[in-house]
Amino acid sequence: MRDDAVRGHLDGLLLAVLESGPLHGYAIIAAVQERSRGALELRKGTIYPALNRLERLGLLRSEWESVGERRRRRYRLTDAGRRSLATERAAWREFTAAIGSVLDPAPGAAT
Amino acid sequence: MSAAPVRADPIEEHVAALAAVLHGPERDKARMLDELRDGLVDTADALVEQGLSGHAAARRAVREFGTVGQLAPSFQHELTLIQARHTARAVALTVPVLLACWYLVGMADLAQGRQLPAAAQLLAAATGGVAATAALCAAASLACTGALARRLPVWHRLPLVVAWTGTTAGIAFALSALALTTASAMSGNWQLSALAGAATLVVHARVAASARVCRECARLPAGGPVPA
Repeated sequence: MRDDAVRGHLDGLLLAVLESGPLHGYAIIAAVQERSRGALELRKGTIYPALNRLERLGLLRSEWESVGERRRRRYRLTDAGRRSLATERAAWREFTAAIGSVLDPAPGAAT
Repeated sequence: MSAAPVRADPIEEHVAALAAVLHGPERDKARMLDELRDGLVDTADALVEQGLSGHAAARRAVREFGTVGQLAPSFQHELTLIQARHTARAVALTVPVLLACWYLVGMADLAQGRQLPAAAQLLAAATGGVAATAALCAAASLACTGALARRLPVWHRLPLVVAWTGTTAGIAFALSALALTTASAMSGNWQLSALAGAATLVVHARVAASARVCRECARLPAGGPVPA
């Protein structure tokens, strides 16, 4: 799936992979790719300003941690982030159900 | 025998090229670029484990992350908003303190049966009004670019509005400092007036510098869709 198609859902994707626990930037990228089995083409560099924006909106919190000689910034969901993710999920399910019912109508439902 | 040419590190070159086109608060810019560099290094390390040479892995990591032209708009947009929030915070926090300071100077003079000259009083009232309005605008901008932005999109001209709000507040502070300094020369309580004038000048310098950087950021092309 192309990068510009993914961009509109980037916030939801980032919140979703952080639901199970805090991760740093590269691990977030790897988690998105792993969950999508490589189907989502993410322009990797764009996640850093996106993470910063989600933190500014209060949906994420971050802190530096030392890993060996390197320091990494780890992000975790806030309560507001969890609520936002639940809203995104509900909206996505509603959207895909509506589109699916048009593109792929159940047998006998088409008129 | 000549030494083999040293090949530049593609990751460092890429981060430096991006840093050269970005403007905004240095600490936040450095933080975002440090994270980007970490991600590039991690990606290159993973590619080396898959069998690529170090240089080829670094070049491919850079390609996967996006060109400077592809990355700069989203980085710059975020930096511009961060700078706008810095400026708005500086205005919103300092104006109430300065207004209280000016009020105390006026009260101290009144208590001693003295008043500032009429021109100074008029100027103080006008600049106080301007500064208070600027502080309200700044507080609203902070809300609009913070938690409120979850529900409402950020107006694309907001950073420019914050920049000019900061500039206006800075001018108001400069005029107030001038009025207070002049008044202090004529006032029996000149120490207090001079102190308030000096504090106003310090705040003016801070707010005006922040507003100047904010204006520079806000003038840069937005490029692409503007997220909240």
